[in-house]
Amino acid sequence: MNALDTDVLVIGGGSTGAGVAWDSALRGLHVTLVDRQDFATGTSGRFHGLLHSGGRYAVKDPGSARECAAENRILRQVAADCLEDTGGLFVSTPEDDLEYADRFLAAARAAGMEIEEVPVGVALRDEPRLNPKIRRAFRVQDGSIDSWKMISALLRGAQAHGAKVLPYHKVVKVIRQGDRVEGAVMEDQRTGEEVRVNAGCVVNAAGAWSGQVAQLAGCEVGVRPGKGVMVAINHRLARAVLNRCHLPSDGDIIVPVRTVSVIGTTDHPVADPDDTECSPEEVHQMIEAGELLVPGFKESRALRVWSGSRPLLPKTEGAAGAGDREVSRSHTVLDHGARDGLEGLVTIAGGKFTTLRLMAEDTVDVVVRKLGRGAECRTRTEVLPGSESHHFYWIGNRQQEAESDPPDDPLICECELVSQHDLDTVVARRPNWRLDDIRRALRVGMGPCQGGFCAFRVAGMLHQEGRYGRAEANSALREFVQERWKGVKVISWGAQARQTRLDRWIFEGVYDLEHLPE
Amino acid sequence: MTELAWGAEAWSEVRASLDRCIKCTVCETACPVAAVTELFPGPKTVGPQAERFRTGGQSPDLSVDYCSGCGICSRVCPQDVRIAELNSRARSELKRERGAPLRDQLVARPGLLGRAGRPVAPLFNWAMANSLIRWAGERTIGIHRKAPVPRSTTRTFSYWVGHHVGTRSARRVVYFHGCSTQWYEPHVGQKVTAILEHNGYQVVIPKQDCCGLPLQSNGLFPAARKAVTRLARQLVPDGTSDLPVIASSTSCGLMLKREAREILGADSPELRSVSQRTYDIFEFLLELHQRGELRTDFKPVPLTVAYHAPCQQQNQLIGKPALEILRLIPGLRLVELDRSCCGIAGTYGVKREKYEIAMRVGEPLFADIQAEGPDLVACDSETCRWQISAATGATSVHPLEILHRAYGGS
Amino acid sequence: MGTDAVVLGAGTAGMVAALRLAAAGASVLVLAEGEGGLPLAPAQIDVLGYRPQLILDPLGELGGFLESRPDHPYRLIEAEEVGASLEWFLELSAPLGYTGSPHLNRLQPTALGALRPTCLVPETMAAGDLSGGGSVLVVGLRGFRDFHAPLLAENLSLAHPPSGAEVRARSVEVSLLGDPRDLRPQLLARRLEERPVLAELGREIRSRLEQEELVGMPAVLGLERSHEAWQRLQELVGRPVFEIPTPPPSQPGQRLQQHLFRALRRLGGEVRLGVRATGYRRAGDRLMAVRVVTAAREVEIPADHFVLATGGIGTGGITAGADGELREEVFGARVSRGGAPDQPLVEYMATQPLDRLGVEVDQEQRPLGAGGEPLFQNLWAAGAALAGAEPWREKSGEGISLATGYRAARLAGGARA
Ligand SMILES: Cc1cc2nc3c(=O)[nH]c(=O)nc-3n(C[C@H](O)[C@H](O)[C@H](O)COP(=O)(O)OP(=O)(O)OC[C@H]3O[C@@H](n4cnc5c(N)ncnc54)[C@H](O)[C@@H]3O)c2cc1C
Ligand SMILES: Cc1cc2nc3c(=O)[nH]c(=O)nc-3n(C[C@H](O)[C@H](O)[C@H](O)COP(=O)(O)OP(=O)(O)OC[C@H]3O[C@@H](n4cnc5c(N)ncnc54)[C@H](O)[C@@H]3O)c2cc1C
Ligand code: SF4
Ligand code: SF4
Ligand code: SF4
Repeated sequence: MNALDTDVLVIGGGSTGAGVAWDSALRGLHVTLVDRQDFATGTSGRFHGLLHSGGRYAVKDPGSARECAAENRILRQVAADCLEDTGGLFVSTPEDDLEYADRFLAAARAAGMEIEEVPVGVALRDEPRLNPKIRRAFRVQDGSIDSWKMISALLRGAQAHGAKVLPYHKVVKVIRQGDRVEGAVMEDQRTGEEVRVNAGCVVNAAGAWSGQVAQLAGCEVGVRPGKGVMVAINHRLARAVLNRCHLPSDGDIIVPVRTVSVIGTTDHPVADPDDTECSPEEVHQMIEAGELLVPGFKESRALRVWSGSRPLLPKTEGAAGAGDREVSRSHTVLDHGARDGLEGLVTIAGGKFTTLRLMAEDTVDVVVRKLGRGAECRTRTEVLPGSESHHFYWIGNRQQEAESDPPDDPLICECELVSQHDLDTVVARRPNWRLDDIRRALRVGMGPCQGGFCAFRVAGMLHQEGRYGRAEANSALREFVQERWKGVKVISWGAQARQTRLDRWIFEGVYDLEHLPE
Repeated sequence: MTELAWGAEAWSEVRASLDRCIKCTVCETACPVAAVTELFPGPKTVGPQAERFRTGGQSPDLSVDYCSGCGICSRVCPQDVRIAELNSRARSELKRERGAPLRDQLVARPGLLGRAGRPVAPLFNWAMANSLIRWAGERTIGIHRKAPVPRSTTRTFSYWVGHHVGTRSARRVVYFHGCSTQWYEPHVGQKVTAILEHNGYQVVIPKQDCCGLPLQSNGLFPAARKAVTRLARQLVPDGTSDLPVIASSTSCGLMLKREAREILGADSPELRSVSQRTYDIFEFLLELHQRGELRTDFKPVPLTVAYHAPCQQQNQLIGKPALEILRLIPGLRLVELDRSCCGIAGTYGVKREKYEIAMRVGEPLFADIQAEGPDLVACDSETCRWQISAATGATSVHPLEILHRAYGGS
Repeated sequence: MGTDAVVLGAGTAGMVAALRLAAAGASVLVLAEGEGGLPLAPAQIDVLGYRPQLILDPLGELGGFLESRPDHPYRLIEAEEVGASLEWFLELSAPLGYTGSPHLNRLQPTALGALRPTCLVPETMAAGDLSGGGSVLVVGLRGFRDFHAPLLAENLSLAHPPSGAEVRARSVEVSLLGDPRDLRPQLLARRLEERPVLAELGREIRSRLEQEELVGMPAVLGLERSHEAWQRLQELVGRPVFEIPTPPPSQPGQRLQQHLFRALRRLGGEVRLGVRATGYRRAGDRLMAVRVVTAAREVEIPADHFVLATGGIGTGGITAGADGELREEVFGARVSRGGAPDQPLVEYMATQPLDRLGVEVDQEQRPLGAGGEPLFQNLWAAGAALAGAEPWREKSGEGISLATGYRAARLAGGARA
């Protein structure tokens, strides 16, 4: 078995783990980060995409609101390239209590949010599809987060400071020596080989799976996975994030993320965080809810459906395991030394994507104390790679780039404007990409046509470049088609049903994928 | 700053239609511009696809400017995506945003003019010298009323109207003649009037201004909206609110019928009403004929006429009524030209960076005309007519002129 | 002056019905929202390829197939009439050199290198029948993103035609037009009509040929002058050359569509694109007129006979709503799932709820109303609008359209006479 030595082993390559890796690396610690799958495939790749202004929590959970408002401001400074500055509106629809709006405004100000009430007419002029019956509107600093960009920037930054990252390395065993955790054993999900990592401290940042990881170490962490369903609509129905101004409930936010609008979300407790099935009822609930913010929402084209699992901690956990300054309303750092008498293991749970930086800071503060080594936190001011120019990304970026691409760089995915050069670049960065990883990294096949055209191109090109063998290319295609079906089978109506028909003709009619040799 | 893409009422209809695109590529196979140049990525790409990347404010793509606006893509799309309309809005936005520098940027792109290396200058210069083009250019900047009337036309159409003693009849129509008849081709308007009167109609010709099409194509949406709304008002003089409105200019007729509402997002009670009641002159005559009311006292016209149905006429979705009417004329040998576009598409083909493309687009049509060698080419659109004449040397006329002749006119 | 027959839909089914009616002397107007599946489709005429095991004699096995698929549109038609429609098509499309026999499927390679059963193919694909094995040089064009010769050839080498004969395939990639820029299919096809470009391609291929008997290449060999391009290339290469269908757009499909459109025009018929039918006017049990949308308003188009060939869910002839409602858009005809399940299955490669969707018809192909009675005496349905087929899997697309379009015209013609 291969063995590696490191200061900090981070388990989980979501926003939290990536944040911890970046923070630790900046403090001069040697970090190794592992994930059982590709990065950003857990909740962080399946979330709603909102850079919270804090508004959602203003009334119900002022602490979280304050955190969001502050972190939002910091991320805009250090991670502009991963964010889109869409702005946001909270609007009182006819079903929302007007009195709540007053409380909301006061609470938002108290939480330090930048907020401004705008005349309804102005809101409607800016957002023509917004429900004309809204009665009040507030402008806030919402934005949207490109999870892939954010996590890969964090990891690239960490790597530049010596970190090692291992995707497809699943922790199968936590190495204990008495009441000390000394590292973990990972299984490479692609080759089956095992790797051992010896670490000064292990950080369990496995999100909704952190209970499972803690169990490997013999501790109980009571995370309760809470499933949330989201539906992406084919294009942007609004420029800004649209929120209902009421006590948070299901399906009350529409976020413009990249080329789509995403409505979400629900919250159902599930036993297994890997349970990602979305029921037709949940989907319909979302579609109906969208009508209230954007009339005609139902007629818009639903593009795909997915769900993510919230890593929720019962309130009691916060109190039980806390040192003095690590507790926050929204996330908890569990020092298993203090909590369970097991040294060398720290679990970070709860939180939000928006507060990833703060979560990491709180976590690494504990790690540094335990290791007795490591500098002050620098993430408040250190700019992430790619964000040096402080330009937010803009939805038109890809279109503009595609225009200026040299003519000998064909587009592979026309919906999301991915060129052959883009493909070559990501594939060169890391060998052994699965088609599905490429999809996440480049959004190939995430547009309206759902891979009808581009999957074949990618498989063919990677085969031609020798990265895929014949059988691999065939099965990559099959897997891809299957994976896409998962996201559309419950929304097969309207234009998406027509799309499915065309894709059937292409995959089964033109290529005859069904009768292809293995 | 985002007036166009997000402000107009039409936003929801046209933009929302992009959801229906299933990327089938049917439109790509039909686009005459994409077929002849690599510079234009095609309707699917610049239309529903690029639209997903547009949110108002800043236009991310320039290549949509190569779309000629011929509208063929919208007609062939099986999913009713309003592709040409999306393009039209995006193109206008681009022009509004960048103005003249855009032209320079396009011209500066490598290989643009040089690639095919065909001699184009003489024709191009001829086109620029042609007063109609100048007229178009002038309209564009909104000064056509003050501009000197070109020498070829000494009397405007309204001057003629002022001296014309029309027939009185219980059956009345309103005539929308458009700018080209007013300033350049008053004879077309005179013949329309004569034909309608011959069929027993009293022709109401109210004072009327521009429909705003040139303003629209240059991105001046608020001004264009104002113009078309004003025109709609002018076209409903007292006691005419239920009369058919007859148009003899295909593009301006289409503006009234649909584009004003769909592309500009203009809306007023008069516009809605006029829009519903607008007829292409031949569409109107064909309906008369179907009711058995068209006079068919035709004199033989012993000519071979090749008919080209221009794009903006085809976009009215009424078939080819001119063809059906002309077929009734004895002695006339009528050849239907089965090609989609002549390339000019309004003023598209006269712009320096588009000229070459437009000529290539028209090549199959020109070849057919030359092979046929007709006495006359008939086409309902004025800009198409001179494109055809310039490219083939054939004499081209409005099909009305042939009908007028069959009715005994000169 | 009136129109005898109005056909809704300009896909294969609509065009076949229109051509048959026009040939019988009717004045025909085809009204369509847009073009149909043809410009996307390989233009290989499938009749029946899998039941689910491979079928070699489509006409011969039709009866057996229908036993397991009693809802299938072929149930409406005698095998003989299917055969007659195919024979008629062979004659009609002689200028494109269509060949094949209704009693013998051919096995042609797909863009991924599967051997796919189909029945009639244009001349440019004729040499690609590998039922009896063969050795193929698969030629890719650098910069053309919709054809990947190496993968195709490797898969093809593993194909086992039932004859037991061996298929061998090797791939090469050729640079054309001087540089590997993005070769868009529409432009590429036109460039390949130019003699110098063809000569360059021919030279390149020839220099790479080894023992191969056949040359296969992406189906981009010209559009209007494909016959000349294909013939010239064969001469240059010295081997039979055949086209392999690409994903959309399809040049062979466009050639066939143009051919059908022109043939109809020659018979005096008209195709009007861009108009959607939205409703109708009836008198008793007769359909008097359809309502269509023009730029300004809805208008009525009257006729004596009507054919519904609006293509089912793929082209919007039938729509599925978010609430599960299934609607035939023009007449509100009864819609059937054709025996498909009503909940989606996890496995993509299975029969899904909307796969066999279509209108229900009586034995005379007349769409039914809610009560199960024919909606009108003078409306017939054809093609993908009919319920019960899964053409991409069973390989029956154009065959169904041809046969049912042909028959719809006969039924309408019978009613005429
Ligand atoms: C539906 C939904 C919507 C949300 N919307 C928003 C929003 O709009 N804005 C916002 O700020 N926050 C939002 N959140 C919250 C936010 O997404 C999450 O809090 C955050 O993404 C959690 O990140 P994480 O890194 O902790 O977890 P994850 O991203 O789930 O990362 C955990 C990783 O651990 C890996 N792992 C698990 N087991 C093992 C093992 N044995 N070995 C190795 N690796 C393992 C997993 O593969 C996974 O990648 C949302 C959450 C949900 C559920
Ligand atoms: C990618 C692809 C590959 C294919 N490959 C093959 C193959 O290899 N072999 C094979 O045999 N077949 C193949 N087919 C199938 C074949 O091309 C046809 O789709 C099939 O024959 C159905 O034809 P159709 O005429 O019934 O319908 P369509 O071709 O779908 O035509 C429907 C017509 O109806 C019109 N329409 C719809 N609604 C309205 C309305 N309300 N008003 C007016 N008009 C309306 C549409 O605009 C269109 O013109 C393929 C199809 C596709 C899309
Ligand atoms: S024809 Fe219509 S559906 Fe097809 S690609 Fe073009 S816009 Fe999209
Ligand atoms: S309007 Fe004409 S030129 Fe423009 S994209 Fe459509 S078909 Fe092409
Ligand atoms: S010029 Fe003529 S034919 Fe050409 S674009 Fe117009 S209308 Fe089309």
